[in-house]
Amino acid sequence: MLKDITIGQYFPLNSVIHRLDPRVKLLYTFVFIIMIVVANNFVALAFCVACALIVTFVSKVPLKTVIKGLKPIIFIIVITSLLQIIYVKTGVTLVSFWKIRITSGGLLEALFLTFRISFLIVMSTMLTYTTSPTSMTNGLDRTFAPLSKIGIDFNIITMIMTIALRFIPTLIDEVDKIISAQKSRGANFESGSIFKRAKMLIPLFVPLLFNATRRAYELAYAMTCRCYNGGKGKTTMNALKYKKGDWLVTVLTFAFVAGVIVLNIKFGEYNAKFAFNSAV
Amino acid sequence: MALLQTENLSYIYGEGTPFCVTALDKVNIEIEKGDIIAVIGQTGSGKSTLMQLLNGLLKPTSGRVLLDGEDIRSSKAKKLETRFRVGLCFQYPEYQLFENTVYEDIAFGPKNMELSDAEVDKRVRDAAKYVGIPESAFKTHPFDLSGGEKRRVAIAGVISMEPEILILDEPTSGLDPKGREQILSLIKNYRDRTGKTVIVVSHSMNDVAKIASRVIVMYQSKVLMTGTVDEVFEQSEKLTEIGLSVPQITEVFTKLHTLGYPVSEKVYTTKQAFLEIKRILNRGKDNA
Ligand SMILES: Nc1ncnc2c1ncn2[C@@H]1O[C@H](COP(=O)(O)OP(=O)(O)OP(=O)(O)O)[C@@H](O)[C@H]1O
Ligand SMILES: [Mg+2]
Repeated sequence: MLKDITIGQYFPLNSVIHRLDPRVKLLYTFVFIIMIVVANNFVALAFCVACALIVTFVSKVPLKTVIKGLKPIIFIIVITSLLQIIYVKTGVTLVSFWKIRITSGGLLEALFLTFRISFLIVMSTMLTYTTSPTSMTNGLDRTFAPLSKIGIDFNIITMIMTIALRFIPTLIDEVDKIISAQKSRGANFESGSIFKRAKMLIPLFVPLLFNATRRAYELAYAMTCRCYNGGKGKTTMNALKYKKGDWLVTVLTFAFVAGVIVLNIKFGEYNAKFAFNSAV
Repeated sequence: MALLQTENLSYIYGEGTPFCVTALDKVNIEIEKGDIIAVIGQTGSGKSTLMQLLNGLLKPTSGRVLLDGEDIRSSKAKKLETRFRVGLCFQYPEYQLFENTVYEDIAFGPKNMELSDAEVDKRVRDAAKYVGIPESAFKTHPFDLSGGEKRRVAIAGVISMEPEILILDEPTSGLDPKGREQILSLIKNYRDRTGKTVIVVSHSMNDVAKIASRVIVMYQSKVLMTGTVDEVFEQSEKLTEIGLSVPQITEVFTKLHTLGYPVSEKVYTTKQAFLEIKRILNRGKDNA
């Protein structure tokens, strides 16, 4: 289960997407998230999904891995879908029992939402899969650099984010190791009453928190020793530079926005035909 | 039939991802009752991985681990039984200490075995004595201890379960010479007193020579050789080739031998060295 948490992980490959300027990737991810929420009909949604699949395909990250990343949110998807199925009462009634009436509109709405949420997550994980933490900070730093003019030092925020991302896999690894060490002392994490299992969290979390705190201090000292003082005036070793490909993708991103808007206008009533309740 | 045995045991970390690492590759070993086995090998050669497979914490990618000739993963009951019969003390003690006091932490294992309170108390005290934790330290918070002290508490935590096969992953790293001696004599003691089996992972050839009855040499995820201390340390060239060494005293005697002194090269501990020198001195006396 723990091994399934892939959010925040980097998947080192050598693809066109991996080599893109992080700012471009931040841009299109951000734009994609907005547009998939804006998309109000199946055609526009399909267009978004197709674009996301193209990005995934070009990045060479195996589709299986990307889909695996959805595991932790399956619960959310199922719950929202159920709510849609129960509450949306448009279209033809398919089944009805007790107080529940399942309609074609509800089912379609649930399907729509499932795709919307899944691909929102897919594109966000694609960002971290294809962008190394260093490159990501660089990108965030440069994107938000203008904020320093109004007194917000984004450098520190990106540093905090990078460190947090950096430590997710470490902590997951550590949880595994602690579980192993306690298991070899006869701790049983898998069976027993709820009360017993809750009690078993103590031997897991105490060492985890203790080690995490210790590690945080050590890192802070190590950074201080290397003269980190909050990042003001910090320069980077590999200064970012827009290349031809980056401009091309930027243009494509705008084309994508235009595409979704056109499809929204053109097929907007498509939904109405199914008597959709497009408010989510 | 060997007590503990592996059959073509392989393990791959992160299978199916670009980070996958083959940590063990078709390992076959046999461990007999009462042996003290030393496992040596370079950093990253798969020693810790092998140890975790032996008590069923990791699931083999392929191959089997047999305890009393039966696959340790054959049933849930067998899995649990293995956990108690094969006790593993991890390389880094900070992964297991969590209780408020040293005493309670050592008692965690025996309590999980559902022993009586009196028995738990006895085992905790015995184990503490063995690893050299004074009773005055029982009330200390384990996180307030130094690295070496933590290690002792962690070892006591596993010994108190009195496993049939005790596995210690680098038990002496981070200890001072006296602490090392204590742990080494503890290992010997545990075997002599109970006739149980001990497996020790170690980077110190001196320690290995002192206590081991058999040695397993690992190299790049494979078992390169197994044999008695003599058989393994005889091959000093092969060991040096893979980044290991022979005990210091052996180096001294090999050098003496090449310089033309009539000493044996098969000297692995200071005790043997003492006897060898005495033998030669005595012979000299007889000749005079
Ligand atoms: N949790 C893990 N995830 C991925 N790879 C791992 C993990 N643990 C170990 N490895 C890799 O498996 C290989 C064998 O590791 P192992 O810990 O068994 O070595 P070792 O012989 O115990 O080394 P050391 O002497 O440093 O303790 C190494 O290449 C290591 O990088
Ligand atoms: Mg190790």
